[in-house]
This record gives sequence, C-alpha cells and structure tokens, in this order.
Amino acid sequence: MKKIKFIFITVVAVTMAACSSDADYEGLNKDPNNPVEASAESLFSAAQKTLVDEVNDIDYRDAPFTLYAQYAQQTTYTDESQYDMKNRGIPGEVFSEVYQNILFDLKDAASLVTDDDFKSAQIELLAVYAWQYLVDNFGDIPYTEALKVVGADQVLAPKYDDDATIYVDLMSRAVAAKTLLAGSGKGFSSADFVLAGDKDAWVKFANSLIVKIGVRATGNTFKSEVEAAASGAVASNADNVTMDYEGSTPNTNPSWLELVQSGRNDYVLGKPIVDALTSTDLEDPRQDVFFDPTSKIDGAYKGGVIGQKSAWSAHSKLGTKLFDPTFRGVLFDFAEISFYLADAAARGWSVGGDAATHYANGIKASFTDWGLTEAAADAYLLKPKVAYATADGTSDEKIGKQLWIAMFNRGFEGWTAYRRYGGAPLTQSELGAGDFKEVPRRLTYPVVEQTRNPSNYTAASTAIGGDEQSTKIFWDN
Amino acid sequence: MKTKFIQILTLSFLVMFQWSMAQQVVTGIVTDADGVPLPGATVVVQGTTNGTSTDFDGNYSITASQGDVLAVSFVGYGAVSVEVGASATINVTLSADNQLNEVVVTALGITREKKSLGYAVQTINGDAIGDVQAFNPVESLSGEVAGLDIQSYNTMGGSANVVIRGYSSISGSNQALFVVDGTPISNSTPNTAEVVGGQGGFDYGNGAMDINPEDIASVSVLKGAAASALYGSRASNGVILITTKKGKVKSSGLGITVSSQLVMGSVDESTLPSYQYEYGQGYGGNADGYYLDPWDGTAVVNTTDDASFGPKLTGQEVHHWYNMIPELTDLYQKTAPDNPGAPAGTVAGFFDTQITSTNSIAFEGANDSGNFRLRYTNANISGILPNASIDRNSFNFSGSQMLRDDLRVSAGITYTNTDATGRYGTGYDGQNVFQGFRQWWGSTIDLNMDKKVYDLTGGNYSWNMFGMDTTGTTPDTTPHYFNNPYWMRDHMYNTDNRNRYFGNLAIDYELNEEIKFLGRVSFDQYDFVKEERIDVGSVDVSRYYVSHQTSSERNYDFIASYNKNINDRVNIDGNIGWNLRVQKWDYLTAETNGGLNIPGLYALSNSANPITSSDISNYDATKKVDGLYGRVSVGIDDTYFVEATYRSDRSSTLPKANNRYNYPSISGSVILSNLFDSSIVDFAKFRANYAEVGADTNPYRVFQSYLLVAGFNGQPQATNPSTFNNESLKAESTKEYEFGLELDLYKNRLGLDISVYDRTTEDLITPLQISNATGGNAFYVNAGSVQNKGVELVLNANPVRLADFNWDITANWSTYSSKVIELGKDASGNEIEYLNFADLQGGISIGAKKGDEYGVIRGTDFVYHENGQKIKTSTGAYENSDSNTEILGSIIPDWTGGIKNKFTYKNLSASFLIDIQKGGDVFSLDARYSSLTGILAESTRLNANGVSIREPVADGGGVLLPGVNADGTPNNVYGEAGDYTTVEGYVYMPAANYVYDASFVKLREVSIGFTFPDRLIDRTFIESANVSLIGRNLWIIHSNVPYSDPEAGLSAGNIQGYQSGAYPNIKEIGLSLKFQF
Repeated sequence: MKKIKFIFITVVAVTMAACSSDADYEGLNKDPNNPVEASAESLFSAAQKTLVDEVNDIDYRDAPFTLYAQYAQQTTYTDESQYDMKNRGIPGEVFSEVYQNILFDLKDAASLVTDDDFKSAQIELLAVYAWQYLVDNFGDIPYTEALKVVGADQVLAPKYDDDATIYVDLMSRAVAAKTLLAGSGKGFSSADFVLAGDKDAWVKFANSLIVKIGVRATGNTFKSEVEAAASGAVASNADNVTMDYEGSTPNTNPSWLELVQSGRNDYVLGKPIVDALTSTDLEDPRQDVFFDPTSKIDGAYKGGVIGQKSAWSAHSKLGTKLFDPTFRGVLFDFAEISFYLADAAARGWSVGGDAATHYANGIKASFTDWGLTEAAADAYLLKPKVAYATADGTSDEKIGKQLWIAMFNRGFEGWTAYRRYGGAPLTQSELGAGDFKEVPRRLTYPVVEQTRNPSNYTAASTAIGGDEQSTKIFWDN
Repeated sequence: MKTKFIQILTLSFLVMFQWSMAQQVVTGIVTDADGVPLPGATVVVQGTTNGTSTDFDGNYSITASQGDVLAVSFVGYGAVSVEVGASATINVTLSADNQLNEVVVTALGITREKKSLGYAVQTINGDAIGDVQAFNPVESLSGEVAGLDIQSYNTMGGSANVVIRGYSSISGSNQALFVVDGTPISNSTPNTAEVVGGQGGFDYGNGAMDINPEDIASVSVLKGAAASALYGSRASNGVILITTKKGKVKSSGLGITVSSQLVMGSVDESTLPSYQYEYGQGYGGNADGYYLDPWDGTAVVNTTDDASFGPKLTGQEVHHWYNMIPELTDLYQKTAPDNPGAPAGTVAGFFDTQITSTNSIAFEGANDSGNFRLRYTNANISGILPNASIDRNSFNFSGSQMLRDDLRVSAGITYTNTDATGRYGTGYDGQNVFQGFRQWWGSTIDLNMDKKVYDLTGGNYSWNMFGMDTTGTTPDTTPHYFNNPYWMRDHMYNTDNRNRYFGNLAIDYELNEEIKFLGRVSFDQYDFVKEERIDVGSVDVSRYYVSHQTSSERNYDFIASYNKNINDRVNIDGNIGWNLRVQKWDYLTAETNGGLNIPGLYALSNSANPITSSDISNYDATKKVDGLYGRVSVGIDDTYFVEATYRSDRSSTLPKANNRYNYPSISGSVILSNLFDSSIVDFAKFRANYAEVGADTNPYRVFQSYLLVAGFNGQPQATNPSTFNNESLKAESTKEYEFGLELDLYKNRLGLDISVYDRTTEDLITPLQISNATGGNAFYVNAGSVQNKGVELVLNANPVRLADFNWDITANWSTYSSKVIELGKDASGNEIEYLNFADLQGGISIGAKKGDEYGVIRGTDFVYHENGQKIKTSTGAYENSDSNTEILGSIIPDWTGGIKNKFTYKNLSASFLIDIQKGGDVFSLDARYSSLTGILAESTRLNANGVSIREPVADGGGVLLPGVNADGTPNNVYGEAGDYTTVEGYVYMPAANYVYDASFVKLREVSIGFTFPDRLIDRTFIESANVSLIGRNLWIIHSNVPYSDPEAGLSAGNIQGYQSGAYPNIKEIGLSLKFQF
C-alpha cells in the first residue's frame, strides 16, 4: 500500500505543480530574447540607414535604377536592362522596404518622442523624403490609410491616394517640420548618421527637401514655398547630406555588395553615358572618374548597347570609387539642388540667381565633388554644348542632361531626371518583349497588391490610366 | 466384480489426475485455415506470463499443464484458445482476420476490439516496414496505407512529408503525429525557410527518422478526428501509432536476433537530363562563339558563360578550360578538338554508388513477472555524391516488471546518435550540384577533367571560369558562377550531429478487475549541432555557420480506466485522463560576417569582419498545454457500440482570455453480420462518427516585440518585425464526419474497408498577408476554413490459398478534394480571395485560393483562342497572359493508391508493392532554366524542314510552335531558337509551360525471401534463419515529368509542387539476413 500511496502523492504533486495560473501561462508566451520596447533612437537610426541604403543601392533585384538611367548595362543576364520588372519582383522590393523598414519605423519612433521638437522634425523630414521617393517611383500610392497595421484605427488594405495631392501634403509637412526645427529639444545626434544632430544642417535639409518637392512638381504650385527655401538649402558641397559607410559587412555601401562581393561581373558601362561623356561636344573630364580608365577597349571607353548581352572583356567598367565599400551614400548634394534651382529660375521664380548661374553651380559642384578642379569645370562650361545659353534643347532638356550626368552615382535621381526633364540621350532596349523595351516611366505596383489589396489596387490602376511601366507620374512630361 | 471395477476406475482417475497435474512440453504448429504455417504467432498460457512465439515454420514449444488454456494469437488473425489435454501435440488453425476478436491499439495506447470502433484505423504489421528498410524508415510506409501520403525527396538523410487525409492547415504544420508506446515523438523538420522555399540549404530530415524499424511490432494509423480526439490539439493531422516489440518468453534458444541489410543504390538515369552534345559552352548562338587566346591566336572556349548555346562543334582545335591552368603542365596552353559527342566524364558518371548497411542485434527475455528487450543498431549510408555519409547508432531498451500482483512498472528508452557529413545541397543554390547539372551547364563538359584538376591541385578550377572574358593578357581562372563540383563537395559541406533520447516510465496499478490506473512520464529530447561551411575561393562569400539546438518535450499522463460487463448484454468501458505537455526549444545560431580570413579554418573566430547581432540568433521558448479528458464506450450484445469523448485543453500559446478550448466526439458502430445470416458475408460492420478537435499555435504569436539588428557607427538599431502578432487569437477547430463499412466475404478471402469523410477546419491561425503599405507583411488572425472530403478504400484478397502456395493482395486507394471555403475578411470587410504560402523563383506562387483547391500553383499562362489552340505572337513565340496570377495547377493529387502482392511457396516468399499517384502538378524551375541554356537534347532537334532548330530562321532553321494566330488560323511563323532568346525559352514562354502532371506509377518495393527449413538448421544453435533479396524504387513505370522524379521537390512542409535542382531517383537493391539464436 505504501507504493500506491507514493504513486498517488506523486501524481497529485505533479498535477499541482502543473496547474500554473493563466498568468503564468501567458508569461511563457513572451519572447525573452527580443525587446518589447525600443528607443526612438534605435528606430530612427535603423530607418535612416535603410533610407540611405535604399536610394544608393544598385542591386539589379532591389533597385536597378543605375540600369534604368543607363549608366550601366548588364553583361550576360539582361532581364533588368530589358526592363522586365514584373517577373523579377522589383516593385515589391522597393515598396515593402520603404513602407515596412523606413516609414513604419519612423512612425513608431515619432510616437515615442514626446517633448523634443527637433527629434520630431528629424523624423518627419526623413519620412517626407521617403514618401516622395515612393510617389516618384509609383505615382498614386497608399498614403492617408497607410502604416496602420496596428492600433485602434487598423487598416489592412489601405486605399491609394492621388500622387499630386500627396505632393501637396508632403510640401506642407516639410514646411511644418522646418518650423518645428526652431522649437525645443536636443534632437538625435549620435543616431543621426547624415548630419550628426547639427540643427543648422537640418534646416538646410528641410529647405532642400522643399526645393526638391516644389521643383519636381510642374507648374507654379509650390512657387512661394521654393522661393522661401531656396537660399537656405544646401549651398556647397560641404553641406552635402551624406553618410560614410563602414568597411565591413553589413555596413558597406550596398553597391559594393553587387559590384565586388558578389564575385559576378554583372555591370559594364552603358553606351549612352559613355557616348555622351566622350562625345566631341562634351569631352567631359568626369569620364575618367565615373569610368575606369584601365578598362578602355582599344584606347577608348566602350559602353554596352542597352538591352544587349555585353561581354565583360569587350566593354569598359564603372569607376573605381563605386567599388569602394566605404563610398559615401547621398541624400542631397549641392549639384542636385543647383539644377533644381536652375529649373526654378527658368520658370521665373525668385530663387537668388538666374538659371545659368545655378546650372553652372551644379556642374561645378559635380566636378569638385568628384575631385576635379573648379578650373576644369569652368573650361567645360565654355563649351557651347555645355554652356546654358548655347546648349541644345529646351531649358528642361539642358538641365535634364547635365543633372543626369551629375547623378552618375545616384541611379534613381538619374532615371528621375530623364523622366522629369528629358534631355538625357537614353535609348530603348535593343531586345526584350513588348513594351518592356521602352525606358520605364514608373515602377508597376507590386504583384502582391493585386491579391492583398485588390479593390484598392484596381481603383488605383484605373486612376493612373493603367498599371503599366509606360504610365506617367503626374510630374512627368 | 463391481467393486473391482470401481477400484480400477478410481485408480484410473487418480492416474489420469496425477498425470494431468504434471507439467509437460506441448508442441505444435500454428497454421492458417489453409495449412500455411504462421511464423511469429504468440502462444501464451492464459493467466500466466509464460509465453512463446512460433518459429519460421509455425512451430512452437511451451511448457504447460493439462487443463491449462493456451491462447494463440497473431496480428491479422482471430485469436484462438485451446485447452491442454492429454496430447503433447496441439496444432492450431487461425482464421484470417475475421475482425471478431482483433485487437487494435487506439489513442493513448488503449487497446480495443476492432469491431467496437466507430472510426477508421488501419494497422500494419511491423514487417511491412522492417523487411525492406529505407534509411528514413518513414518512407517505408509509402503506398501501404489508404489516405496516408508519404513523399520523399531523394536526398541522403533528407526529410519525408507525412500527411494524412490531406492538407488542412494553412500556416501550421500538416505533418502527422508519431506516438511510440505512448510517447509523442517530434516529427518536426529542422529545415530553414530557405530550404523549404527552394533558395538553398541542407535538408536535415524529419524527427520521426529516429524511430528504428527493428523495434516496430505494429503500426496503427488513426486517420480521422474521432480516432485521434483524445490526443487533443496536436493530433489534428492524424496519428501514426507505433507499438514496439517486447521481450518474450523463449522456450528454446538464447533470445538473440541478429539482422543485417546491405543495399546498393544507383542513380536512375531516366531521372537525369538528356543532354545535347553538338553545340559548345557559352551563349552566342551559331556565330563565332569563341574568344581568341593570348598565346597563339587560336580559339578559346567561352568558359565565362554557364550555358550551352555556344558554337556548333566541328572538331576545330580550341583551348578548353583545362588548357588554361598552369598547374596542368601536360595540357597548359595546348589545344584539343571541340569534337561533338558525349564527353568522357558525363554527369551520370559523376555519381557514386549509394551504399546503405544496417546491422542490428537484439536480446530479449522474459519470465513470470517481467520481460526485457535490448537492441543495438548501426546504420550507415554513403551517398551518391562525394564526401557524403551518415552514421547512425541507436540503442533501445524496453522492459517491464510486476512489482506485485497488481502493480507493474515498465520503461522504455531509445537513444539515437546521428552523425552526418556532406548532406546534399538543395534548391537554387551553389551548394547543389544539380543547379548546374539541370539548369546552367556546359553539356559537353568533361567531368573527368574537373576531377583531374581538383585531384592534382586541390584548387577550385572550374569549367565555368572567367577565362578570357576579362581584360588582361592571361586567362582568369577564377570561377564565375559555378565552382568545380568536386572542390565544392570537399570545401562547401555541412556536418551535423544529433543526440536523440525518447522513452517513458509508466506504472500500471490494477485496483480490481474493473478499475485500473496508469501514471506515465514520457520524454523526447534532442541536442542537435549543425555546421555549414563555404571555403575561401568559392564563388559565394566564404562562411562558417553553426547552430546548437535543444528541443524537448515531456508529457505527464494520468489515466484511470473502467471496464465492466454490466450484464450478459451490456459492457461499459471508459477512461478519465489528465495530461500535461511541456515543450521547450533553445536554439543558438551564429555565423561569420563577410567571409573567412584563413582558408579551410571553419570557426567563428575566423570571421573576416566582427560578428554583429544580425549574425546571431537566439530562440528560447516554452510551451505548456494541459488537458483533461474522458471517454465512455458502451457495447450491447457485442453488436451495437457507441462511444463518446470530451477533452478540455489549455494552452500557453493563446491569449489568457481564450486559452481554454473544449471539444467532443461521438462514434458508433453496428455489426450488421450479427443481424442476418449469409453464406457469403462473414462479417459486416457499419460505423459512423462526428468529432471536433481544437488546436493551438506556436509560441510568440500573441505579443509584439522588436528585432535588434546590427548596429551602425556604434549606434544600436531596432526595427519592427514584418509579421505582426495578435492579442485576441483563439483556438483553431476541426470538425469531421466519417462513415465506414467493413466487410469480410467468402470465408475471409475478400475483405473490404471503405471510409468516407468530410473534414472542415475553421478559424485557422494564419499569418494573413497584408498590403505592405500597412507597414507590415503579415498579421496573425483566425481566418480561413478548408474543407477536405475524401474516400478511402482498403481491399484484402486471398485469390489462391493452397497448402504450399499462397497469394495475398493488399490494395488501398484514396482520393480527396480540398476546397478553401473562406480565407477571412480584411479590415475593410472584403472577403480575402487568396492567401500566398510562397512566391517562388520562376514567377510562381503557391497558395490557397478561395473556392479553389488548397495549394494552387499560379503564374503566367498561355493565351488560348476560342478554338482551344494557343495563340502566338508575330515573332512566332507564344503570347503570355497579362496576369501572373492565373491558376496553372494544384499540388493535390486526384487519387493515390498502392497494390501489394505477396506470394508464398513453401519456404519461399515474394512480394512487390506498386505505388500510384494520379494527378497533382509540379512546377519545374529546372525545365524553365534549361529551356534557355541549350543543354537539352531537344534543343538541337531537326524541324520539319530537316534543319536544326538552332539555325537561323532565314536558313530554314527555327521552331514552328503548334498554335494559331490571333484570328485562329494555324501558326506559320518560325521563331528563332538559336540563342537564349529562343522562343522555346522562358523569356517568351509563360510559367504554365513548366508545370507538369505529377502522376506516377512506381515499383516501390520488391522482396524475395527464403526461410531456412528446420532440417537444415535444427542441429545448429540457430533457431531460425531468413535471407531476402530486397529492392526499393527500382522502376518508375510511368511519369510525365521529363528527366526527373515526379516526387522530387524541396523538402517536407506545405510548399510542395515545385522542383529546383531536383535529385534523381535512387534505385536500391540489396540483401537482408535475419538470424535468431
């Protein structure tokens, strides 16, 4: 009987021990290895780095804009150079990266900042930058109902908003954030990789953003905002908003991953940029930094025909700076802002100088930023096909061509310069199926939107005139 | 006289009485109704533990007293009791299963008379698994059980997918639960999302592999919800219940069994690509296709491209890749002709013979109060690839002891150590040799040269080196996309070691005849170390990865049982039980960052860059579920049976408010054959049931947390995860109806068991995929309902039954249709139409579509004219659908079946199993990529003009695709097919072109056995001896998937119907020996 008692006591004891309370059970379901709370700093810094990565990436799957801008051409497998974005899932990469890993983390960070206007402004300015990037890629996008995965106002299938209308809101947000910078607070400093919490520099960031939004929109919608911001924007290369990468993974320049670490020789120079810079009209001195002088073929640079297989050995390569893992990433530079101001001036806006001056500033800034002398820039500007007064085409085309050249390391801005201004001598793809041959005017919506958000997707497609690569963003001419 | 007669009579009685009291040795033979001996039948003196089993000739020998009752039983046959009389010889004839008294093991190990069950249970003898063993024993169940789908993927030691009655959970596991002697055994697959999604990695097998076939006495498959309801939530996918062998009393011999199998496996060449050997390596079509070399200006093969659209081979003298390697002094800078024809070292020749050897020894014994069995097995496999082997050592002990007349203690433990090197790389990855062989390859590459160069230099000189496609004056011998496959196997390999322990300790207490108690603690734990390596010099970034995983499960059970015959007509039988399950996971994984510094040193400390938080992951979780349940069963007149169960579970993985869920089942049966007399029908039973089963989920799906990622510039970083959790989740539920009919006809020579079921799962805990614009990618919700309706048929026939010759047929057939009833609503209240499981390479997605089948394959389709023909474009290529969400197929087969024939002639037996699948589809990434790399023989065929399709259309070449113009008139435009932009390649073909019907007919198992007759061994110490010739997967009789095994795929899981770098079928043939001493 003793044994039986023992068994019963054991059973009862085990049962008692197991009958934990509901609260104990719930406690087991909380992950001990991941934090329930995160600081605004850690979210802000992660979002900022992701944003700089995103706009400086050249990976053919994640952000093939350097191919769309035709700075480069693929060697063997040419799907992206032939603008096949749907089968390669490119739109989904851009869309999810920006919404999930930049904008949502920024929104989360903003909710954690209570009494620091500077921090709130920093978050807001990065968010507006990222929103503009999304609009400039897709056109209409989910905006007012976006980023509501959690909370009382949860929306799992957000509606799309009109791109031009979003621009109006982005402009007011940028202006408001600039005002907020005058408020209290210490701001993010060590978590701020681009400007290290320098408030004056953030004011320039805000003004530059206002200029970029205001000038990219056509017409005079944002004339007054741009005029108010022009003099306070990035005004020299010293003001450039850049981030220095580290020498080792995972913190290298994302271009290095594709160009060096992959071990693949995927990209040679594109024929349009080579032909433009080496033409007798330009004989652009930047060719020897943009391109690798040791890769000349029979003494001359040779770019791959867009869309065609282009053997590595038979074509010239991108400049060595792009192969440096620590090569800086850029959000704004003086060259870019100068060309925007040139456009503003050409439209008759009062932005402190005429179009030719800003245009020349842009070229000079590009030269010196790439290590060339101002004298070389001055000489270059004397060429009739370069000087604003005598260069070919409309003002837009003049600006477009030089902005395209200056944005060599920033594929997205180069592609956008072409779409916004024309002027750049891009060609259609030699090969490829159907309308893929034309340089895309936008990214199509991610395929998953068709199944995850079908009614809003359909409405947006109709609203923009069809979810095609050839559909134009509202500012496209 | 009268007195004398009485005296004599009395004396006789006394003598007889005394004689009858004496112990004697009773011998005899146990046969079936036709006199065929039954080896392994159990003979027990009733009321004692004195027992034995028959030898291979059906003979037994047991010590018994006159008046004792011998109980003789054998799986699949009705038990018979015989009283010991005066004769020392008792021959017993057993009738093939008339189901009247067959006992089966059901949920929680409760043994029940099969006739009383209201649900389907299919039982398989352990021999069916043990006779022709696969290295993964789970695979041996393939084709044996109606409604049980087993799929394996041809990788050494890789996983098997085990699904009963189809897929019903969308995000959760659909794998069946394995229970060994009451111990639930983890059957999880420790594979990464990359392996499951086809992006590469190693298949580490599934947990049930550690069950040793040598230990299995019988297997019961509980298919429906009613059968498994008592197991609670985790059994909602069905249960495979394994009863292990126990020590038995031996009347003679030492109680030692030795068995040994040696199996040789070779690659089935019908599942390898058929290559073209007329055109060389590279892209570039018919034109020049060669580079010029720096030495003498002759042609150099375009080694930089990983394809076979190069120049037409004419015998021209060229520098091959191996002529550019300075260490190969005899060949360096030399040339050789680019002769067409198969190379000396072909892909088929790359593979080794797979050798599997299994050696086991078991000791067993028993006495009046206890029994034990101890078994050791070594199983060793060396695979078809170089540097691939697994060594598995396994011990099992089981024993039980009566401590008192009413108290029994029993224990069992199985320990398995698995030590593996060089598992096969899977999917679209540089570690999978088939990514090259099937997709990107130079079909004329002589693999003997790869081996020669590697053996000589030890370096990574590849057929796919940059060669002359780099600027410079000497060729660049750096590998471009593909490594030397021999180097790869030695320098990019994994090792892993797993220690697994499972077993239980149980105490049975019998209070009286009617009431019994069981207390049991069972455990299953494994410690798993996985290491993966990529050496410096590879195409990929060098890497060392190590993962330490400990996973354990403990179950505490307390069960009280009651069984009473209320009167002659009514029997009541029931249980009340309590269970606590505690599962723990502790994983620590780390890898180097940015490569290795020192080649060949695989250590975290050899990381090129400092290891960051992105390179480390740590997962710790505990899950507890406690449940209380009851069962009551009433039998009336041995004809009407009804049973009801109820269980209440509480799970730590659900929110506090919803953590308890309850579910009932009811089942009943009627023995129809007791209600009428028939000369044809021996036995007939109708059964019906309804059951609900609740299910919980995995840890950490309720509360939200952040992810810490690598810091930048000294600054810590955090981000939101892409999947959002939900604090109002509730349990999933499964509801199932089932009806069945069992028949035995013509004196048990024809048996039939039919089941019809309708199962609906509701409130599935699903990571609902949401617009990324929400800031997330998925949100856990209770959404979705899947309905599976099916029919299962098991047929047993005994067409020939003679004294010396017997022929048995066991056949099974099952079909089911799966329908996604709903997928829930999004926040705007709109019905969700589609839920994606995976976007896979090749423009394919696999998911569930509302109103359609579970597991549809979607992508771009052809565009069809109303006359049914495919429409083509002006270039002669096919038009593609605008949408890439067209439904192209389904992973669900139309039906599956198996037929096993077994012939016995005297001491010789032969059996073969044919396994059949009809329907189901598979997308082949191999076919898609090979369509534009020009490696396949069909890419050089002649067109109707008698010209090679590779020639330009202008020269009479090209392809005239069958189809029509937009107006319905036949296609008359030849398309170019001489380059990777061929109209037959994926650049122009829709994804639908690479979806194939996955039907197959396979000769799955063959066994020819010989049992040594007694006269040969009775003077030896050998008790019995058996030798068999065995074969597995010898012949794919029918398949529609070109160059591939239709069953090949990624790994176990919900993503099926997809092949990428698929491994070929392995034909196995071997010898099996079994001795008892």
